[in-house]
Amino acid sequence: MWAYVLRRTGAAAVTLAAASVIIFIFIHLIPGDPIAVLLGDQATPDQVDALRARLGLDEPLVLQYFYWVGSALQGDLGRSIFFDTPVTTVIAEGAETSLLLATITMIWVILIGIPVGVVAAMRQGTWVDQGLSGAAMLMASVPTFWVGLYLILIFAAGLGWFPSSGYPSVFEEGDVSNLRYLVLPSLALAAPNAALILRLTRASMLDVSKEDYVRTARAKGISPRRVTLRHILRNALLVVVSAFGFTFAALISEAVVTETVFALPGIGRTVVQSILRRDYPVIQGVILVIVSLYLVINLLVDISYRFLDPRVEFE
Amino acid sequence: MRHPIRVALGAATLALTAALAPGQTRAETLNYAIIGEPPSLDIQMGTATLATTIGQHVFETLYAFDSKTEPQPMLVESETISEDGRTIVMQLRQGVPFHNGQEMKAADVAASLVRWGEFGARGASMGFQSAEATGDYEVTLKLKEPNGAWKSFLAFPNGGPTIYPADLVTAAGGEPLKPENYIGTGPYRFVEWRPNRHVELEKFEDYAARTEPSDASAGAKEAVIETLRFIPVPDVGTRVSGIQAGDYDYAEYISGDLFGMLKDDPAMKPYISDAPIFGLMFMNSQEGYLAGNYEMRQAILAALNMTEALQVSVGDEELWDAQGSFFPEGSIWHTEAGIERYSEGDVEKAAQMAKDAGYDGTTLTLLVSTNYQQHFDQANVFKRQLADAGINLELNVTDWATLLKERGEPQSWDLFMTHHGPAPDPVLLTFMNDSYPGWWTSTEKTELAATLNESTDPAVREEAWAKIQQLVYEQIPAVKVGDVFSFDVGAPGLETAWDRAPAFPYFWGATK
Repeated sequence: MWAYVLRRTGAAAVTLAAASVIIFIFIHLIPGDPIAVLLGDQATPDQVDALRARLGLDEPLVLQYFYWVGSALQGDLGRSIFFDTPVTTVIAEGAETSLLLATITMIWVILIGIPVGVVAAMRQGTWVDQGLSGAAMLMASVPTFWVGLYLILIFAAGLGWFPSSGYPSVFEEGDVSNLRYLVLPSLALAAPNAALILRLTRASMLDVSKEDYVRTARAKGISPRRVTLRHILRNALLVVVSAFGFTFAALISEAVVTETVFALPGIGRTVVQSILRRDYPVIQGVILVIVSLYLVINLLVDISYRFLDPRVEFE
Repeated sequence: MRHPIRVALGAATLALTAALAPGQTRAETLNYAIIGEPPSLDIQMGTATLATTIGQHVFETLYAFDSKTEPQPMLVESETISEDGRTIVMQLRQGVPFHNGQEMKAADVAASLVRWGEFGARGASMGFQSAEATGDYEVTLKLKEPNGAWKSFLAFPNGGPTIYPADLVTAAGGEPLKPENYIGTGPYRFVEWRPNRHVELEKFEDYAARTEPSDASAGAKEAVIETLRFIPVPDVGTRVSGIQAGDYDYAEYISGDLFGMLKDDPAMKPYISDAPIFGLMFMNSQEGYLAGNYEMRQAILAALNMTEALQVSVGDEELWDAQGSFFPEGSIWHTEAGIERYSEGDVEKAAQMAKDAGYDGTTLTLLVSTNYQQHFDQANVFKRQLADAGINLELNVTDWATLLKERGEPQSWDLFMTHHGPAPDPVLLTFMNDSYPGWWTSTEKTELAATLNESTDPAVREEAWAKIQQLVYEQIPAVKVGDVFSFDVGAPGLETAWDRAPAFPYFWGATK
């Protein structure tokens, strides 16, 4: 197994290097000028040029790339042009919110998606299945911002059960009750994702239930409940688990709409704001971290197959 | 598989119980929902409204505007001006501490002014020859030319000469100060800036207030609320719900279409802005079809109906005023000169004028950004109105950062959309600056601007400005769209020192 992990890590390093070039080129292809954004409407061209030179943004792109990669290899992703703080600090600020939000959302997704998917599969074709699948379609189709705004209107502005927006750090304030800030956003974010996992679980369960060994198990007189949970669900989960990995990565990198609606200081919003401001070091840094995250999660998902299905071998 | 599920269930239960536990009470904190992340709070270096709104609590200027927009002494005690108007000797107040405990002295003021004159966003227009400390509490300013607006320049915080400790400001030079060096003399001191979370200020206990009664930004400033927290909340719906939910005490820039719904809501108090912002459509005076082509520019102006543009882009009638003067009524700078040409909306006349100007059907390019919905809506209305007059306009739609770059390239546009905040003096209007994109220069402008800039007689300056406004409607460096009053909302318990929101809302004197 370790040889496999090593080989995959090597391949990941190559992917990362290629990604770094692509990120760099594309970001610098967008027109726009971070200095003009920073200095504002009234800055004279001389002031803009002077600050650009001081920040090293007037150097040839190739040089800028090698400076960036060189420091990135030493763990230094540069300084944000806009915030004038290290990019690693900016990412760390967003990481707590994004990781916690993704984790809580995944809990909802698993708690709702899998059991409901199992029930729908077991009752295939009945009104229960129709109702649950219909609800899932609806949840997958409604835009997150709409769900988010309604959750705020009802549970924050109306009932006052949860705060409407923002997220003060749990760790810095040492206050676990700050997690209440993430309840509504995680529900909004979970809705479409739970619906997808539900449909995936249902479809996968139905596929597996047609396998010969399921028929054999039933013929042996094993209880239907045991057949469903032990024989069907366990095998059906192989497909679902691989979806988990990417769902989790996507929850971190693509939660920008939810983060915007709930004014959460997450990574998705950081990257979109940075693109609008042309804060090159932050965009590059965040995308590099997200690419790395996808590579790691991909690897972990592949390894987890081995534990879910002993027949899988590392080659 | 059972074990992880149990863990997950446990975590979810924990999250839920935690969620239902009562939150900490945050007494004495004002939470202000701002529209986005502010750029550097070193407000000498930039003109972003957000940075000024926050920064004015921390930093002070030598003079400050009262409610009549007249500059009154703030950090200075008195001044004397030489006969020729070029030498100004200012006596500073004594015993004014910076947030780091040092006393503000002449050396700090001189260093701050020198840096602002060289690198400041509006520093170049002041025309400093030198700023020197000529005593512990005496600063001598020498100007290259007499400057009729010098006191307004020293009072306007937006991109203006805020006073910092000498060592910090000299070391920073042309780069914005780093947050750890946000040291001023204001009633609030800087605590922390957390990207995407908040900027936090707290009451400065040793603040040396003036003795005159508080009057807008002038006079005594008393910090009553302990902590001010500025929180970026990009979604307008969330800013409003956050007030309803009690999470925010003040939320800015609520969209005009919500005004009708919110003005009677008992859960919040609307604050219409006291300081109109106006849209400007600049014309390229340096290159392209419109450069020097005043007849064609007048044809374009004649086709535009601003009432339509404002109805579409702003909405509720209480929030806009289709008026062509660059200063609202009540301002000493308000004049009707030239405004008979404003918002004529006469397409037939415009078509005839275009024909007389020899218009050949050339397609004109209007650069516009979608980051500001009003710019985009107004541009679309103008495109339609010009098409009716047979003038072809093509929109080049970009994001704001791209627009800022492209408008600096004279060959790539004929017109661009932007907006302008309230200015205390006409010399601060963007089109008065020869190097601002659009690059409006003409002999008439240069002559009138010289009088406006150099005269120290208010009556002479007012007359010069009236002539310039007349000229603006003849040479049309930029088309004024109309006054737009943004509106903010506050929680019912918040008591501010003002009823209509100032251009940069301030919270000294506020209670909750």
